[in-house]
Amino acid sequence: MIKIVLKIVNYGEKIKMISRKKKGQMKTKKLKTSKSKILTVPEISKSKKISKISSFHLSRKSKGQMKIQQMAFMLMAVTLFFVLAGIFILIVKFSGLKESASELEERNAMLLVTKLANSPEFACGSAFGSTRINCVDLDKVMMLKENIAKYKGFWSVSNIEIRKIYPKLEGDINCNLGNYNECNLIRIYDTLVTGYDMSTFISLCRKDSFEGETYDKCELAIISASYEEK
Amino acid sequence: MNKRGYLQISFAWLFAIVVGAVILFLAIFAATKLINTEQTTQDAKIGKEISILLNPLETSFETGKTTSLTLPVETRIYNKCKTNELFGKQGILISQKSFGKWTDTNIEIEFVNKYLFSENYVEGEKFYLFSKPFDLPFKITDLIYITSYSKKYCFINAPEPIKNEILALNQGNFLISDCPDGATRVCFSGGSNCDIEVNYNMSYVKKDGATLYFVDDSLMYAAILSDKNIYECEVKRIMQRAGNIAQLYKDKASFIARTGCNSNLNEELLTLSNTARNIKSSSELSSIRVLAEDIDDKNSFEDCKLW
Repeated sequence: MIKIVLKIVNYGEKIKMISRKKKGQMKTKKLKTSKSKILTVPEISKSKKISKISSFHLSRKSKGQMKIQQMAFMLMAVTLFFVLAGIFILIVKFSGLKESASELEERNAMLLVTKLANSPEFACGSAFGSTRINCVDLDKVMMLKENIAKYKGFWSVSNIEIRKIYPKLEGDINCNLGNYNECNLIRIYDTLVTGYDMSTFISLCRKDSFEGETYDKCELAIISASYEEK
Repeated sequence: MNKRGYLQISFAWLFAIVVGAVILFLAIFAATKLINTEQTTQDAKIGKEISILLNPLETSFETGKTTSLTLPVETRIYNKCKTNELFGKQGILISQKSFGKWTDTNIEIEFVNKYLFSENYVEGEKFYLFSKPFDLPFKITDLIYITSYSKKYCFINAPEPIKNEILALNQGNFLISDCPDGATRVCFSGGSNCDIEVNYNMSYVKKDGATLYFVDDSLMYAAILSDKNIYECEVKRIMQRAGNIAQLYKDKASFIARTGCNSNLNEELLTLSNTARNIKSSSELSSIRVLAEDIDDKNSFEDCKLW
């Protein structure tokens, strides 16, 4: 059942008609305009024949336009929804990726630091008597530090730090070739240590001399491998 | 009138179908891309995990270490070796079986301080990894060997020390007797149907028509288990590192001289460093070994040992 609701008729002006498919009675609406009056379809037919024809065309046209507009808006909304949902998924996914990258960095630093003291660039080998594990040759490390540009990115950590803990010295004294007997901190790479680090205890040995006699001197130290959080 | 109405509805439908199809296409395209990205991420993550898991294979006192690696799906581990830059680079590329197809990934996980010996790629769900230290004459690095659980190696007529070592490794795919069909036959002093021939006394391995030279057991295993290109590339990388470590010991010798700890190895270490850095192929290893043995003898008699 099709019922047409006539809205406003202004004399000498355009006619607007909105059609609706609805079950129920015809609805008539009166606007509070002095020059307005309510007409039914037969009355319109009698009074304004031309208006009837054009109103019919307008009705069909605006109906179609309205539908297309609705559909376009709907499609835009659906597209927008998918785009937003996609962005949300990507954000969640990539934040997870960052987390797992950081986890891997942490694990790398943890596993590396336990073995770093035994790697050839650090290890004492048999230079101080018998073969020792977790022993770092300070003389070799100082030479490594002097040539560190060659070893950039070699251990895949942001920095490696060796800190003497016994005998204890007040404050941080960076070691160089001049003071390396009386210092307590060796940063393998010159960059600042940022992010997180993993440490393990080592013995730090070097050749020293007393009254012309050479001897092996070993101290307690901590070796740390630091990594940046992604 | 009906016809015009029909046309209007048709246009609306047409519009909806076109836009709907575009949305569907974009959604499918995005989903496919996302799946590919996810697979690539997974491959890269596994590659990185493997590279991290190689850290514990670093040896101290041990003559060898073994471990296994089990992955949830059928995986190919591609071994990529590069000799560029100062130390060269070790790369790992992972490809996993997904819906019956190997994922196509080009994300290579690279690291500098590891030396991995394997065929061009190893395939399977379970892998054996074992490592052995390499000294020349001081420790240079640990060589890491990757083999697939499914690929068996049969060592025929192996010398006693090698036999004992293989037994001690207890690696399921290394056999010294009862060779199954399809196993790679590694013959030491003669044998029939040999895939790989090892001349232990002359220090070379013959496989696929190529001769690979070695200087110790660690490089012998490397030659047996690797493709020629990978072996030669890794040998060059190891020698690049050996050259740098020799330089480090030379600098150390000068540095500790101020404590009265004199070493007369400066010249020899410099020669070793230069020779090692300029190595072209494994055939030059024997000359480096002679040099290394000479240096080792001298160091062992020093009051202040450098290593």
